[in-house]
Amino acid sequence: MITKTQHVPLKASPQPPLKRSSGGKKLFRKIEPYIWIAPSIILMAVFILIPICSVFQMSLNKVSKTGKIQGFNNFANFTKVLNSSAFGIVLKNTIVWTIAVVVISTVLGFMLALILNNQFRGRKIARAIVVFPWATTLVIQASAWNFIINKDYGTLNTLLLKLGLIQQSVNWTPTPGTYFAWEIACGIFVTIPFVTFCVLSGLQSIDTSYYEAATVDGATYFQKLFKITLPLVKSSLTVSTVLNIIYVFNSFPIIWTMTKGDPANHTDTLVTYLYKLAFYNNKQGEAAAVSVIGFIILLICASTYMIYTLRKGDDDL
Amino acid sequence: MSQPANSVKKPLSAKKVILRVLLYLVVLDVCIITLYPYFAMLCTALKGRAEIFTADGTILPATALWSNFIDIWSRATMGRYMLNSFLIAGGSTVIAMLCGIPAAYALARMRFRGQTAFLGFVIVSQMFAPVVLLIGIYKVMLSMHLTDSIWGLIFINAAFNQAFTVWLLRGTFMGISAEMEQAATIDGCTRVQSMLRVLLPVAAPGIVTTLIFIFINAWNEYTVALCLISTDTRKPLTVGINIFNGYNIIEWQYLFAASIFAIIPVVILFMCIEKNLVSGLASGGVKG
Repeated sequence: MITKTQHVPLKASPQPPLKRSSGGKKLFRKIEPYIWIAPSIILMAVFILIPICSVFQMSLNKVSKTGKIQGFNNFANFTKVLNSSAFGIVLKNTIVWTIAVVVISTVLGFMLALILNNQFRGRKIARAIVVFPWATTLVIQASAWNFIINKDYGTLNTLLLKLGLIQQSVNWTPTPGTYFAWEIACGIFVTIPFVTFCVLSGLQSIDTSYYEAATVDGATYFQKLFKITLPLVKSSLTVSTVLNIIYVFNSFPIIWTMTKGDPANHTDTLVTYLYKLAFYNNKQGEAAAVSVIGFIILLICASTYMIYTLRKGDDDL
Repeated sequence: MSQPANSVKKPLSAKKVILRVLLYLVVLDVCIITLYPYFAMLCTALKGRAEIFTADGTILPATALWSNFIDIWSRATMGRYMLNSFLIAGGSTVIAMLCGIPAAYALARMRFRGQTAFLGFVIVSQMFAPVVLLIGIYKVMLSMHLTDSIWGLIFINAAFNQAFTVWLLRGTFMGISAEMEQAATIDGCTRVQSMLRVLLPVAAPGIVTTLIFIFINAWNEYTVALCLISTDTRKPLTVGINIFNGYNIIEWQYLFAASIFAIIPVVILFMCIEKNLVSGLASGGVKG
């Protein structure tokens, strides 16, 4: 049988030998794709979908200290979270953190991509160096920055003293606000490479004849930038921005390593706040409520941004 | 006004020279700022404790204490952390690929009901970072007796990298013509055989990129490991090195010496795939 099926198709179509079991074959054909995707679905269902359901369930129920679900409690978790004095600060911090890191790193990353897209000696080395912060785990990056800005023995003070730019050690983090600003700076530092490389890939796919034609027509550099480059890398920018909104919003290690959200929630974002609620204060129901609130905010932001840019893109075409 | 595209041979105008110099200055600045934290880490890792904490600090170490790099192996179970990191990253990569390749293949080569729904779920799953689901994950792990276990971390990392794996591989597979596989099927290969022998070798660059990227992600993962693992000998590097980051005393020299061991493999791997990864990311986004 098997040898026959191997030889027949050389002359005829492979259908005839299959005809005999066509019913079973047809059924198999129908369910075959599901067998192929089954492992992936099972993996994601068990380790992502069930946790999602469990978080939603916990957010709506009274949860005991040991994690037992004790029945619907009329959104008490949500009202408790929303009424707590810390939540306002935490929410404001999260918004400031996300917007500042995403916007500034997108602008700087885009500019860096334009620079690296030029032909120059050492371009490969420069590109390799720019990757560094992306590849380094955030905990280590954050520890390094924490050390650099330390007011007593940090290397930033040492460096500036040695260069003669300052006369005495500066306290770089006099208030929680300035500490938070440093955390944002660290966030920007590690986010730039991702934007840069997304944009670079977009830039490299642009046909150079557009620029040549524009030059012939006497277009200036900025005209070319806004009329050719920007519209053509927009899809790359959209991808990187949407992913960055999600990553930055959910970013935990930088703030946890540098300040742990202290003092008194002044540098907390939603994720560090919910970590403390769940694992330090043992308020799992409220932590779950914070998770759900965070997810809703993220869903609204990311989908609005995506719909907005995609629709705008359609209008241009 | 008009210039031919290949005006390289013409003498450079003054304006162009200035632009060139500016370009190099900016690139140099960017490189210095980017490398500065690594420079600071390396210098600190080579200093003695007293030298770090003096008010009148030094930039370069007075005498390089290479012994710090040796001391960390006895002061903490560095070897164990490193092994754990390798096991977690390697295990996650294997599982993510074993689940992701068939799924990406089905998405790229077959049509079936629920295809869009599956893709949609894959994308939406990206929005849930492990940290947001930590309480839920912890509960699931408790019920499966996987808390404080390396296996637990392997599965979590594999699952949360699944979206990326499926997305990137689907793009890679769709970029490869199906003709060769069809020919192989006509010659009597089964689907599995034609995928293994025909498609995967051609898709190797994309697969290696995906593989390395998952490995790096799992190697760098911190939050879930911090939450799930309590036994010291099961900690990965990212969590384990914080043993030097105590509440009262921070042993910066050891912390950074250990950090350098954690960074080096990843940076090397990353530089290998940097080019492919980004084009893969972009094409996945555009095609989707």
